[in-house]
Amino acid sequence: MSVSFNIPEIETARLRLRLPMASDLDAYTAFRMSDRSKGVGGPFDAASAFQSLAAIVGQWQLRGYGRWMVADRETDAPLGIVGIFHPTDWPEPEIGWSVFADAEGKGIAMEAALAARDYAYNTLRWRRIVSLVLEDNHRSIALAKRMGCVAEDIFAHPTFGNLRVWRHLSPAEICATTEQMETQT
Amino acid sequence: MTAYLADTPVLTTERLTLRAPKLEDYPAWEAFFTSDRAQFVGGPVDAAQAWRSYGHLVGMWALKGCGSFVFERTEDGVVLGSTGPWVPNYYPEKEIGWTVWRPEAEGHGYAFEAASAARDYAFQTLGWDTAVSYIDHGNDRSVALAKRLGAFEDENAVQPHPEKPCHVYRHPARSA
Repeated sequence: MSVSFNIPEIETARLRLRLPMASDLDAYTAFRMSDRSKGVGGPFDAASAFQSLAAIVGQWQLRGYGRWMVADRETDAPLGIVGIFHPTDWPEPEIGWSVFADAEGKGIAMEAALAARDYAYNTLRWRRIVSLVLEDNHRSIALAKRMGCVAEDIFAHPTFGNLRVWRHLSPAEICATTEQMETQT
Repeated sequence: MTAYLADTPVLTTERLTLRAPKLEDYPAWEAFFTSDRAQFVGGPVDAAQAWRSYGHLVGMWALKGCGSFVFERTEDGVVLGSTGPWVPNYYPEKEIGWTVWRPEAEGHGYAFEAASAARDYAFQTLGWDTAVSYIDHGNDRSVALAKRLGAFEDENAVQPHPEKPCHVYRHPARSA
């Protein structure tokens, strides 16, 4: 008998959202130790990277939902972390996204974040989901806007600083947008 | 609550049941880690940090295939602490760790009973050939427990945090 841990997987056109594994640690640690993690409070040391990856997995058990390792559908190479982050000091669950250096600029964060949003609405049956973004994280702000997010209040976190609450399009708004597009074509 | 962690081992001793951590255990963990009693294991921390570290405790099982057991008193199901394999990638060696969450659980030999079972599991089931316990300077209770377990201080062992040296107690591999 060996220990198992299974979470729902999602496949998109180019990506597989799956459970983070020990073999992802090198890529994740490189990200956490780089300046690229400034947008999520970094950079951090290697020990904290391990703890963080374990905690990402652990949240699935504790909350019943969580964040995935975004992997290349063909090669399974780890590209980033995207999904629903919900620590106890957050005002509400949010879709978080971090993309490793090699994967930037290819729309991977957006593709994975859309899948996470679908999961929140269609599987979890939620009616609201947000993303919390540090005010100086311009790339993430741009992505939030591209996804149609609406800026709400600032959530002032005691250690991370000021996080803007970006509300995602609601299920009804997504329907309306889709219909509009269909009318146009 | 959907449980994703499955097929985890359950160990039983005379008075205790050792099993994988559950969400229901979290309040006892938080009470411990936010108290001064956690001073030798990286605490005390605030509740937000305690939550993250509990996720880490759970996630270790998924990433490494083994992890720390929560031990409860079989008689009444009261959760007393955690013990077992602690194998983060950044440690130089595999560790057997322990924490006693409730002050009233100290002084009854529970940690000894639980850690003995967890260590047997590491050696016999996981097939470890050695194990250490990293113990902060000043943590006299844990040093006493390590000695009671038959571990000896290994001055030559590699330190997990060289900038902040700790006691390294090495467990004798059991032949049983």
